[in-house]
Amino acid sequence: MGGFYIDWSGELVAFFAFAVVMIVGAVLMLTLTKVVHMVASLAAVFLGLGGMFVVLEAEFVAFTQVLLYAGAVTILLIFGIMMTDHQAVQREPVRPAHEIVSAVASIVLFGILFYAIRTTEFAPSAPPLQAGVDNAMEIGKQLYTQHVIPFELVSVLLTVAFIGAIVIAKKEAE
Amino acid sequence: MTKWLEQPLSWENALFFTAMAVVFLLIVLLYVVYAILFERKVLGWMQWRHGPNRLGPWGMFQTVADVLKLLFKEDTIPRKADRALFIIAPALCYAPSFAVLAVIPYTRELYFADLNVAVVYYAALSAISTIAIVLGGWASNNKYSLLGGMRSGAQMISYEVPLVLSIVGTVMMTGSMNLRKIVEAQGDWFWQWNFLPQIIGFGVFLVAAVSELNRSPFDLPEAESELVAGYHTEYSGFRFAFFMLAEYVYMFAIAGLASVLFLGGWRPPAPFLDFIPGIVWMILKMAFVIFFLFWLRATMPRVRIDQLMGFAWKVLLPLAILNVFVTAVGLELFIKG
Repeated sequence: MGGFYIDWSGELVAFFAFAVVMIVGAVLMLTLTKVVHMVASLAAVFLGLGGMFVVLEAEFVAFTQVLLYAGAVTILLIFGIMMTDHQAVQREPVRPAHEIVSAVASIVLFGILFYAIRTTEFAPSAPPLQAGVDNAMEIGKQLYTQHVIPFELVSVLLTVAFIGAIVIAKKEAE
Repeated sequence: MTKWLEQPLSWENALFFTAMAVVFLLIVLLYVVYAILFERKVLGWMQWRHGPNRLGPWGMFQTVADVLKLLFKEDTIPRKADRALFIIAPALCYAPSFAVLAVIPYTRELYFADLNVAVVYYAALSAISTIAIVLGGWASNNKYSLLGGMRSGAQMISYEVPLVLSIVGTVMMTGSMNLRKIVEAQGDWFWQWNFLPQIIGFGVFLVAAVSELNRSPFDLPEAESELVAGYHTEYSGFRFAFFMLAEYVYMFAIAGLASVLFLGGWRPPAPFLDFIPGIVWMILKMAFVIFFLFWLRATMPRVRIDQLMGFAWKVLLPLAILNVFVTAVGLELFIKG
């Protein structure tokens, strides 16, 4: 065992295709200068992530991801940009010290994550959740039995946020 | 298709699926060509005129000629437009519209994907088209396009909420989001189909669907009297054709979805009529829904943008939520209890 033996299956090809989409999208997001282009490449990252969930057989999460992030959040960002920012191109001032520190920080973060992922062993004892057949149903069962209190708390939180948004908008209107 | 979909994916299967997709694409393109002709004819008849009647018998080749004209037209890109987004937008708008057709079961045997979250899949992919329309409107660098794109984004996001919520009642009655199971769960007689117990849901679904399609009376994004042509003002040639194609393919998809969710899918209206194959019933139901959309367009005047947005949030959304509650209570009292 050990080393990187790669068995080329369709799943792996799909994984790499979506990974390339996500990484290219993320890099473009950071390097492009027009804000709308950035949002478009961010949408590509969201779509790639949705595809990744499909590869993992989590269809419900995948399409919820596409619906909420690639759909709603991206549109919201585009609206926000169009309504507030009149200067479409943003130029960052060059700060070499800042860039070096962030490069070191991200390499360290990558190292920690890589080490953690390589050394983790999943305990095979717990019975695996049979989510492959109808995972929307399984997620629903989990949400309404085991995780019902966090679920309700999140819905209260969202309602509060919703009412807060209305209050702020009302205040602005007056 | 069941046999093919359950096999592991080999090269032969992949080739077969690709061939099926191409054949289906050709069928859909043929449908679009004749849907446009039929729309113009129906509008003509309802407004007491002939509609296209010059090219071929009964004007049969009018849209074929129109498509050829669009393909050979000069492809213009405005100099101040954002080139990359301007080019990507029409394709990004069209691709999801064809992809959503995969989950709609046309008969018990003929379906392209047996997906357990088909309803969410449909909503998710149609949201991508919205982004494409907004981006296309923005990239044109034209105030009418931008306004059309913004209107379209606001409208499609607003109406997606009641559209999805109106489906929830049907999903609750079936206990599955798989469109094939939803059809299987509907009864043999036509009064056992979902449109009667879910009459509120069906109404909300139809109104929200017309708005999602950006069709008259809700065609604010391309209101020609105020916005020239809305988000596709600057588009010409085949890029314009792609936007139109997406609209008509979405019409096909919505018709399929309405038939499957509320009108019994491939089922005949009475059990003794089942000697007629399911595909005929499915086509009849889809044709009926599509005709209904043409009929609305010929009859209704366009609404104002603030009326449109108010209608979504103040009328359709509460109705859809009410429908979810009523369905839950009804299921608890009469079906399970």
